[in-house]
Amino acid sequence: MSAAVARPIPESRRIRVRVWELPVRIAHWLIVFSILVLAATGFYIGHPFISVPAPARDHFVMGTVKVIHFYTAIVFTLAVLSRILWMFMGNRYARWNQFVPTTRARWRELRETFKFYIFVRRDPPPTVGHSALAGVFYAGVYGICLVMIGTGLAMYAPQASVGSPMRWFAFLIPFFGGLPTARLIHHIGMWLLLAFAVHHIYSAILYSAVQHNGTVESIVSGNKFVEPETLAAESEESDA
Amino acid sequence: MANQGWLTRELKAHGVSRREFVKFCASMAAILALPPPVAAKLAETIEKAEKPTLVWLEFQDCAGNTESFLRASRPTVAEIILEKISLNYHETIMAAAGHQAEGALADTVKKYAGKYVAAVEGSIPTGAGGAYCTVGGKSALQIAREVCGNAAATIAIGTCAAFGGIPAASPNPTGAVAVGDAVPGLKNLINVSACPANAENITALLVYYMTMKQWPPLDQYRRPLFAYGKLIHDNCERRAHFDAGQYVEAWGDEAHRHGYCLYKMGCKGPVTSQNCPVVRWNEGTNWPIGCGHPCVGCAEPNFWDKMTPFYRHLENIPGFAVGTDVDKVGLGLTAAVGAAFAAHGVIEIAKHKLGRGSGQSNGEKGE
Repeated sequence: MSAAVARPIPESRRIRVRVWELPVRIAHWLIVFSILVLAATGFYIGHPFISVPAPARDHFVMGTVKVIHFYTAIVFTLAVLSRILWMFMGNRYARWNQFVPTTRARWRELRETFKFYIFVRRDPPPTVGHSALAGVFYAGVYGICLVMIGTGLAMYAPQASVGSPMRWFAFLIPFFGGLPTARLIHHIGMWLLLAFAVHHIYSAILYSAVQHNGTVESIVSGNKFVEPETLAAESEESDA
Repeated sequence: MANQGWLTRELKAHGVSRREFVKFCASMAAILALPPPVAAKLAETIEKAEKPTLVWLEFQDCAGNTESFLRASRPTVAEIILEKISLNYHETIMAAAGHQAEGALADTVKKYAGKYVAAVEGSIPTGAGGAYCTVGGKSALQIAREVCGNAAATIAIGTCAAFGGIPAASPNPTGAVAVGDAVPGLKNLINVSACPANAENITALLVYYMTMKQWPPLDQYRRPLFAYGKLIHDNCERRAHFDAGQYVEAWGDEAHRHGYCLYKMGCKGPVTSQNCPVVRWNEGTNWPIGCGHPCVGCAEPNFWDKMTPFYRHLENIPGFAVGTDVDKVGLGLTAAVGAAFAAHGVIEIAKHKLGRGSGQSNGEKGE
């Protein structure tokens, strides 16, 4: 690699757009933090790998891990549900129709983005918020999150103390095909979320690199830097 | 005696002392989670209670639930209540046979219509028009419709009757179903699952009915909450080892000999609801986990299909080899996604580098 060559910034015409509002960013990071904690504690609960010496009364390893898992699950559940609620309250980039292609333009964008990923297109179609393809993936991720919340509540219900309102969620047990199956689904869901996280980080970096719009930074600052044409084209489309 | 009811007479005839009867009432109060003073009230009420009329049907079963009752080492109060109440029909223990027996059943259904209790043991086959199980020329399905349909309540005893059990396990060649599924919309269906159902729980259920004149609150699978309201795991005597993080890693290892938690040996206590740790089996002698064997989850729906492999934490994943570890598959999947995108990244970088070299503009505008 040769020494860094100073190049003119072609993006200078770009305008700053507040894409991710504060609630979206807070929900995002709460979900990230809670998934990491839940996956780590959940993995231990499924495979307790720490060797604990006798006597039992001096230790509470599994107990502590479970408590962390349960409290983090509360954070996760509230963050996911708040974000879903925000789909009906937030700005245009947070809305529910970002996660399902409702217009022909979004369908076209979905196809074109896919072409970009399979190297048919050189650059992805310009977007301000989520691309149509990413949106569909996120809808799936929200689905997995809800399944994780549901299976988690189903497994928690019978161990909640007698009289606890959490016992009410026992109705979910037959819905998921019984507790053993709820447990299996819970394991599968964790790996799907982790596999998604790998893809998500890669794609954010990729988009940041090829669109030069600050995709990665946007989830901290809330801002993306887009060309005026992109913003104009999108406004037209949503007005139509 | 002020109350010379049927039960008092029967107890006397069988040489059961008053003391033993009161002890029985205390244990019933305990199983039903009622406070101790209720035991005396229970004794008073049971003595005066009317005999419930019971018919006991056996379909695709091994008579294991009946055996479980009959294996009492001495004539207990429970046995007397169960056997000496008007048990008008029970294939395994009745003296009558053939037309005489079938007549007794038909009479009960007619005479006590809407008043008797139907106990059902075994699943009901629906395949081949019900030909896999017939009694007296009628299919199990026909009998269940007739007898359970006219009963004041139906008690599905054992996992086969409650959830289909082993006959309904994949591939379920006879199309076996639970009583509740075979005859939908049954009035007062109560499932007393487990393989076999614990005799103490069935007795307690009948005592509840005799004394309270109603059926107890049920869980999401229509099982009485007094017996199925808690996970085995939550009442387990080895729970302290679970919470501490001390587990049996192999059969007969140091941890196993010290009675540590069987969680890693595939114990299904955390996903099974029953009062085994408290009531135990064989008159309170012991229970599976007490003798070092993991719970196999016999009281839960889809027992066998979902609780196997017995010595593994998770059930088999459909479409994968038996015993495949879902977490290994998941780790593989995550690694594969990582590898795929790493490759994607390399190609992407190469493409853009080449693109820049040939002087192509970066960014295609206005789709």
